Amino acid sequence: MVKKTLEDIKNTLQDVDASEISYAERGYHLAIEAQKGSLVSVVEFFADKGFYLADLCCVDYVEYLELVYLFNNFKELCRAKVTLKVEPDKPVAPTISHIYTMAHWYEREIHEFFGVYFEGHQKLTYLFLHNGIDCYPLRKNRVPVTDDDKKLLDSFKPEEEEDAFFINLGPQHPSTHGVLRVVLKMDGEYILSAEPVLGYLHRMHEKMAENRSYQQFLPNPARMDYPGALLFNLAHVAAVEKLCGIEVPERAQYIRTITCELNRISSHLLWIGAFLGDLGGLTPFLYAFDDRENILDILESATGSRLTYCYFRFGGLYNDIDDNFIDMTKKFIKRMHERLGMYEKLITKNVIFINRVRGIGILEQSEVPKYGCSGPIIRSTGMPFDIRKVEPYAAYDKIDFEIPTGKTGDNMDRYMVRMKEMEISLNIVEKAIEKLPSGPFNAEKVPKKLKPPKGDVYHAVESTRGETGVYIVSDESDKPYRMRWRVPSFSNLMTFPALAQRTLLADAIATMGSFDLVIPEIDR
Amino acid sequence: MGKGGFYLETKDPIIKFAVVEKILNLARANSLWPMTFGLACCAIEMMSTAMARFDIDRFGAGIFRASPRQSDLMIVSGTVTKKMAPTLVTLYEQMPSPKWVIAMGNCAISGGPFAFEGQYNVVEGVDLLVPVDVYIPGCPPRPEGLLEGLMKLEEKITGTRRFPTVEQKW
Amino acid sequence: MNELNNIMSIIGKETVRAIIGLIGVLVLVVINALILTWAERKVAGHMQRRIAAKEVGPFGLIQPIADSLKLLGKELITPANVERSLFYLAPTLIFIPVLVSFVVIPFDSYLQVKDMNVGILVILAFSSLSVLSILIAGWGSNNKYSLIGAIRSVAQNIAYEIPLLLSLLPVIIIAHSLSLKDIVEAQNGLWFVVYQPFAFLIFFIASVAETNRTPFDLPEAESELVAGFHTEYTGMRFALFFLAEYTNIFIVSAIAATFFLGGYQGPILPGIVWFFIKTYFLVFVILWMRWTFPRVRFDQLLNFSWKVLIPTSLVNLIITAGILKL
Repeated sequence: MVKKTLEDIKNTLQDVDASEISYAERGYHLAIEAQKGSLVSVVEFFADKGFYLADLCCVDYVEYLELVYLFNNFKELCRAKVTLKVEPDKPVAPTISHIYTMAHWYEREIHEFFGVYFEGHQKLTYLFLHNGIDCYPLRKNRVPVTDDDKKLLDSFKPEEEEDAFFINLGPQHPSTHGVLRVVLKMDGEYILSAEPVLGYLHRMHEKMAENRSYQQFLPNPARMDYPGALLFNLAHVAAVEKLCGIEVPERAQYIRTITCELNRISSHLLWIGAFLGDLGGLTPFLYAFDDRENILDILESATGSRLTYCYFRFGGLYNDIDDNFIDMTKKFIKRMHERLGMYEKLITKNVIFINRVRGIGILEQSEVPKYGCSGPIIRSTGMPFDIRKVEPYAAYDKIDFEIPTGKTGDNMDRYMVRMKEMEISLNIVEKAIEKLPSGPFNAEKVPKKLKPPKGDVYHAVESTRGETGVYIVSDESDKPYRMRWRVPSFSNLMTFPALAQRTLLADAIATMGSFDLVIPEIDR
Repeated sequence: MGKGGFYLETKDPIIKFAVVEKILNLARANSLWPMTFGLACCAIEMMSTAMARFDIDRFGAGIFRASPRQSDLMIVSGTVTKKMAPTLVTLYEQMPSPKWVIAMGNCAISGGPFAFEGQYNVVEGVDLLVPVDVYIPGCPPRPEGLLEGLMKLEEKITGTRRFPTVEQKW
Repeated sequence: MNELNNIMSIIGKETVRAIIGLIGVLVLVVINALILTWAERKVAGHMQRRIAAKEVGPFGLIQPIADSLKLLGKELITPANVERSLFYLAPTLIFIPVLVSFVVIPFDSYLQVKDMNVGILVILAFSSLSVLSILIAGWGSNNKYSLIGAIRSVAQNIAYEIPLLLSLLPVIIIAHSLSLKDIVEAQNGLWFVVYQPFAFLIFFIASVAETNRTPFDLPEAESELVAGFHTEYTGMRFALFFLAEYTNIFIVSAIAATFFLGGYQGPILPGIVWFFIKTYFLVFVILWMRWTFPRVRFDQLLNFSWKVLIPTSLVNLIITAGILKL
């Protein structure tokens, strides 16, 4: 696949510089340098081949700004990095939002954080930042906001129209699970259009990463995605390990797998409760939390915290697990299997529930690459794409497990996929405990002060919501030059305006609930 | 929203009915309905507190009202960003008095880990926006912490404590 | 004593009876609401594997008193831009039909404020008024969520009033009376639920919808409309809506008990005890449903009424009438 794509690029595209890269070191296969004139044709080439836009970010090298487009293929692993250099003074780049819908938001994000203009973008307004901002935050030198952009800052207002009925869903609303705001244009109970407004919980994680060393950043990822904290923790740790070439001992890998899967179950349990809460049933919320508390007990005994874990260290773990941990886990697995049966009786077979979720919020499989969404959302459309299988990390390559998929991609399928995932996670934990090797749990000779070699790396893990990727650029200092987080909820949410169109308010809320959105992760 | 924040003017009533006030305060302390207002990580722990294991409803504070008009207690559970700040102030003003605010977690107290040099988006402490009655430190605080915070608030309202405290031995 | 008799003769025995009855009803309404708020918390708690209200008084029994005192002492906010007269009127208006309904309910063979020969018509006529006050509340609040809640409520109540009435008609045909007391007396032998199981089911479902309870709580759907039609109401005004809701639950359960479960009829225990046992059992079922089911969607709700409940109750009515005629 990689060789073939490279050949195709060399044959069909002019004015590009493509080369193959060591995947083990960098996390991507192809590096392509495009020029302003050739960028759109390169992106069109990838779109034709069925690639999805995994990420689009920008790095400020002071002399120039570099736009980084990361592509990947759902069918066969082939990660490609396309770069485009733009001037720092008046940065302008061609838009690709007409090819990939997702790029709409990525380009808006880059515009507000770096001041890059995208020619041809339909609506280059502010997405995250508040009205009082006076510079482009992620630029290395302080660059004041231009006058043109100042006008855009306060520009988000619903269009004045006669007979239009607008509803602000959020930022404080019981069904947005945090501080998401969605502006709904209504026709009675029907939604004409939905427009999410983000940034109510933008906590500058990417800026923080540039201000502190790799070790100091360790607690941050957990605050980004609190229901699945360990998985984000792992994404950061594994990316830095890849960058520095640290070998992690086998035992640590297995423990990482066990704790991550437990965390996945607890996150899914939280989701079930919240989803049913959106549908108006409050009791499952408490049942799910009851089980969740059991997992928290187990994880607390190893990590020391209940929610925002910071358990993994570069080259290993914070501490080893003991027999007590394994006993508790085994007991929990037994209990959880019974409870899953109860959930099936209580929820899955409930007539009202079935009528509320079946056939609602259908996401077509063909639409998926345009949005670049991932996780249970694409698996529900019938696409068996799981980073754990495609790019195995930790000990997933040594454990056999299946990937549950749906058929139609509606809310019911998303629910079923997550239910099955919990069962599979239980099996993974069970198998991993059986195979758990003895030995050290920390790599030797990991320096206190990490100074990774120059270069960049992309590492993705399958978090509870989908592909979570970290793109790190190192400049040989102990702080990352740039750390970019590719978060699944951001691209998953992008599908919401399309799915919510012409549906009832209640259905739109059910659809939003089925996405399992975590707002700090979207806003970062 | 300048330095020091702003506070609502409160006037003492001309005539005070001591006994009535006392009974009302007792009722208020035992029926603190919080607002469904989750901001970030701490919101999950706030939910945990309302769930089966910790069950904040035992103390009469379990009816989470989604509308600020019907709630007495605002638990600021998480980071307040500058974009969120006006909304938070509006919500506070929509609540009918007497009303109370609990700042839950380090972010709500002082910006927590997100208060660093050069930060551009976080309000460093919700007490810059609204008057806070009880601060609960932690990142995030455990549910027991929130329960203790509730006890403290009750103590503040009534002047007496619900449960005796454990004597500290260290 | 003579003077008292004189006063009695001037204002009439019936009036005195009505005044005493109304005071009794008011007390009952308040006590019922206090009990139900406590019961709802406890029932919900035990269904959700927790204890719920416990620390405020023994078994948390003082909890509802604390709640109501607190609501009494709350600030009454009138938001800017509300339609003031409507905004003030709605909470009071929602309470009147609720009180009137109590007048005709027979609590025991001798305990009834007034036995009217059109008893059930009075209840049905006045219960339709409550939807008007919900509409007024939603419109007057000048809040989008309230408005949607009010609109939903109107559509829902109109749709469910028809099966409500149609399911009561077979009972009226069998008992040959509109008076509630006569209907109870007619169930001296077998309860009407045995003759009319479908009518009972339809009535129960429709009455849950009429009282806006889960799974039909669309007008105040929390996850969609924040608090629905009473989003903007504070303190005692909100408490009145709360009170009306719980009293409504009691009334529909009482009517169901009167019409289908033999009212105050029962062996050994006095009639009033039987009446409250039956009523509170039905109330418990309504609470049980709330903490078990998710909410239905708006179109499903209306479809269910127009396509299932109304035809079934019509068929049931025709069959009953036909059998009686034979």
